[in-house]
Amino acid sequence: MVVEFRLPELGENITSADITKVLVKVGDKIKKEQPLAELETDKASMEIPSDIEGVVKEVKMKEGEKASAGQVLLLIETESSESVPALSVKTDSDAAEIPQEIKPALSANNDKVSKLYNFKLPELGENISKASVTKILVKEGDFVKKDQALVELETDKASMEVPSDVNGIVKQIKISEGSTANVGEIIFIIETSDSDSAENKTDSAKKIDSPQKPVPEAPALPKTEPVKKEAANEAALETKSIIAPAAPSVRRFAREIGIKINNVRGSGPGGRISIEDVKKYAKSLNENIESASSGGGFGIKTEPLPDFSKWGETDIQPMNNVRKKTAEHLSYAWASIPHVTQFDKADITELEEIRKQYGKLAESAGGKLTVTAILLKIAASALKKFPQFNASVNMAGNEIIYKKYINIGVAVDTDRGLIVPVIRNVDKKNIIELAAELAEISKKARDKKITLEDLQGGNFTISNLGGIGGTGFTPIVNAPEVAILGISRGSYEPKYSGSEFIPRLMLPLSLSYDHRIIDGADGARFLRWICSALEQPILMSLEG
Amino acid sequence: MNKIKLAVLGAGPGGYTAAFLAADLGMDVTLIDLNKNPGGVCLHVGCIPSKALLHVAKLLEETKHAKKWGIDFGDPKIDIDGVRAFKDKVVAKLTGGTGQLVKQRKINYIQGRGQFLNPNTIKVEKTDGTIEEVQFDKAILATGSEPVRIPGLWIDSPRMIDSTGALELKDIPAKMLVIGGGIIGLEMANVYSSLSTKVSVVEMMPQLVPGADKDLIDILTRSLKPRLGSILLETKVVKIEEISEGLKVTFEGEKLNEPAQIFDKVLMAIGRRPVTKGLGLENTSVKFSEKGFVQVNSQLLTDDLNIYAIGDIVGNPMLAHKASAEGKIAVEAIAGHKVAFEPAAIPSVVYTDPEVAWAGVTENEALKKGLNVEIHKFPWAAIGRAVTMDRTDGMTKLIVEKDTERIIGVAMVGQGAGELIAEGTLAVEMAATAKDMALTIHAHPTISETMMETAEMVWGLSTSIYRPKK
Repeated sequence: MVVEFRLPELGENITSADITKVLVKVGDKIKKEQPLAELETDKASMEIPSDIEGVVKEVKMKEGEKASAGQVLLLIETESSESVPALSVKTDSDAAEIPQEIKPALSANNDKVSKLYNFKLPELGENISKASVTKILVKEGDFVKKDQALVELETDKASMEVPSDVNGIVKQIKISEGSTANVGEIIFIIETSDSDSAENKTDSAKKIDSPQKPVPEAPALPKTEPVKKEAANEAALETKSIIAPAAPSVRRFAREIGIKINNVRGSGPGGRISIEDVKKYAKSLNENIESASSGGGFGIKTEPLPDFSKWGETDIQPMNNVRKKTAEHLSYAWASIPHVTQFDKADITELEEIRKQYGKLAESAGGKLTVTAILLKIAASALKKFPQFNASVNMAGNEIIYKKYINIGVAVDTDRGLIVPVIRNVDKKNIIELAAELAEISKKARDKKITLEDLQGGNFTISNLGGIGGTGFTPIVNAPEVAILGISRGSYEPKYSGSEFIPRLMLPLSLSYDHRIIDGADGARFLRWICSALEQPILMSLEG
Repeated sequence: MNKIKLAVLGAGPGGYTAAFLAADLGMDVTLIDLNKNPGGVCLHVGCIPSKALLHVAKLLEETKHAKKWGIDFGDPKIDIDGVRAFKDKVVAKLTGGTGQLVKQRKINYIQGRGQFLNPNTIKVEKTDGTIEEVQFDKAILATGSEPVRIPGLWIDSPRMIDSTGALELKDIPAKMLVIGGGIIGLEMANVYSSLSTKVSVVEMMPQLVPGADKDLIDILTRSLKPRLGSILLETKVVKIEEISEGLKVTFEGEKLNEPAQIFDKVLMAIGRRPVTKGLGLENTSVKFSEKGFVQVNSQLLTDDLNIYAIGDIVGNPMLAHKASAEGKIAVEAIAGHKVAFEPAAIPSVVYTDPEVAWAGVTENEALKKGLNVEIHKFPWAAIGRAVTMDRTDGMTKLIVEKDTERIIGVAMVGQGAGELIAEGTLAVEMAATAKDMALTIHAHPTISETMMETAEMVWGLSTSIYRPKK
């Protein structure tokens, strides 16, 4: 019989993943555990194995598409003789071409002439979203020059004039004296032949927009590519992409308050959008705008991106999931943790000898006796000796959470970006074991076999860029951890022995830490201890 | 605040609906049309007269059908003048009625031919010979459409008619050819065949009402076939000549029995085109598409900031109710409301007997776009009411989105489909799910129950049909 193969649950808070590669085709015989597809989530790439044996009858997924947990990916014919007809669109083999007359639906979608410029009320100042119109200084039909004052406004803070940014003729005045205008709202329509008016059309090339947007939008790249004009009669209604699942009254309400209904998530059955959903979305937009415009609550004003193609050719690529998550995570970590980076150098001349001597031991266990492997063990001991580095901060509750276990993450560079697999209970493993585990987990990461669990639960992170080079860097703490150790390239330096200069192999280390719970002295001590342990390995067992 | 001066050019369903709403919203409205009363093609020579005649046709068919139920009416005496008078009375009543509404709303109605002199002025050549210039702030263009004539085939003869001529019902021809198996052609074929004309329908495409879902049209065709002389599909008309016996029509097609036939009348119903010439639009910034429709945005605003356009001149579907819906949006846009014309579904109806009606996504569309849908069909033979009416030539079809179980398309064929489709249109607009439809109690015994039962088929739980889901 024909069985549906559905995408299994992927992990906490993960509802969907991108299908990066489909590994089977119709007719393939598949075995249990055989990988059927490669997927990528926010956190990692993974393979999905089959849980049954059979022959692929239908492939219902496509590379590049998103799949949700529970979604049917394949139809597999298994051993049983009875075959169940799968649900599909019944097609009549000779369905005629649809001439325009009969199409029951229509979508009008013309955007305005390219010469009309929507002049929007520009930013007026920090946290100012609207202003009162005290005096309109032009009338319809007037010719205005760039920088000429169009209107006088009053905000909480001041009175000001708003100048035009184009030359042209005022076609329509969309505000009136005594009314309120919102930042971002179209207040004048000016007919202009200026070629570099940045936003010379209604913002969106999409089919639904009304020209007014009273809710200020998050900064968007102004579009300058010509808006394609389609005759209203030619376009067929695409229910999925244009008409949102909302009653007509709800769609109208959304339009009236300036919300793009297609962006609202419906909480009703089948994703139906209610008025409440629209209100909730509007509210969240306002909150986001406030926090976005205040740079995550730190009083930073966002700067919209310029149109780079003004200066030359550009190529726009979408971010993959790993990059996106990395970007978001690091922005947060950087903004919320007061970073200090402490630099030091360890004399590893003798350690190098030890590495060469015992290298084979590690190899026979499946690993390499690298500086990273050794530092893993040293760091574990250091975390024991300096417990405030093995903790997390809870500012909301004014608490420090000390961890009694020691898991350390190791940054691995893959072709999809940076991931940090975690080695658990480092203190309970010896260096040989750690070296082997490190080799295994790095291979796993590069082979896209990392699971979500592998990436979670770390207390501290080590990032080794020495293989590539460099004399030092300022790593970003992997929130919610409080410290991160960066390793750069060791090199021979002359050290004064007291009587002469001798060449010693020095390894630069960079320790970034969260200054909210780690003070400078502790930072220096922690790093110094690590350097000492590298120089005198016995310190690990003595004090660690 | 000064009243907005609105000029509406064309008083069909689009124009007069817009004019009435505009007046209700306090605008100063001038309505210009060639006819004495509003109504346009729809009321005068379209929707209304055809439905009046189809009503007569339905009665005639039902009386014939009654023989099966033990009632024999014999052969009816058809007084064609009486039938025509009924139709004319209906038209007069309704056009008079809209004329009354114009007066009640104090709309300035000008009977004449309008032309734009510039984006603020329309010059009207009135029927009394005088000229009047109408100044406006905003204008709505609603000049509608006209039947297409194939220049090589059309013959200037009283035997050659278009839909307007067909509705005049000058006489009952013994043998008539309808060129074009679309909605208008079929409705006229339906009317004349019940009046005892031997009607043949010739259509270029492989099915009647090309573009509509085949399963619906199959049921319609099966019902129509015994009443019509012949249905020639995948056939073209290549020549029409007038001879003493009538119009000799030469066909071209693979499945022909006779390459040429003689008819008393030939009705050309191959489509309609927008009326945009001779309106002075070159004196405005209004622009057209390749197909000749007026280009508008979702507020129905043309490329001229003062002029809006609605109805048949902006595109398909050329339906009266689309025009009036657009008219309302255009007026609201002029009034400064934040609106857009974006319906989720516009119903289409073929008013033949049996009727065909659909709204939202059709099966053809779902296929073309590769939508992930389930299609459920319920044959009316399984529903009580259809059996009581002895009219089981019908089917209800629901197109349901698989992931969300949302109803995105509804279609039906059968008696009364045109009225029943309203529930479907509402369901699609409200983003109803199949569950909503299945859980709504529908009266028994009615045809409307088929909507509920078709929805139940989504889970294999339809009462009247045993089709368990596997």
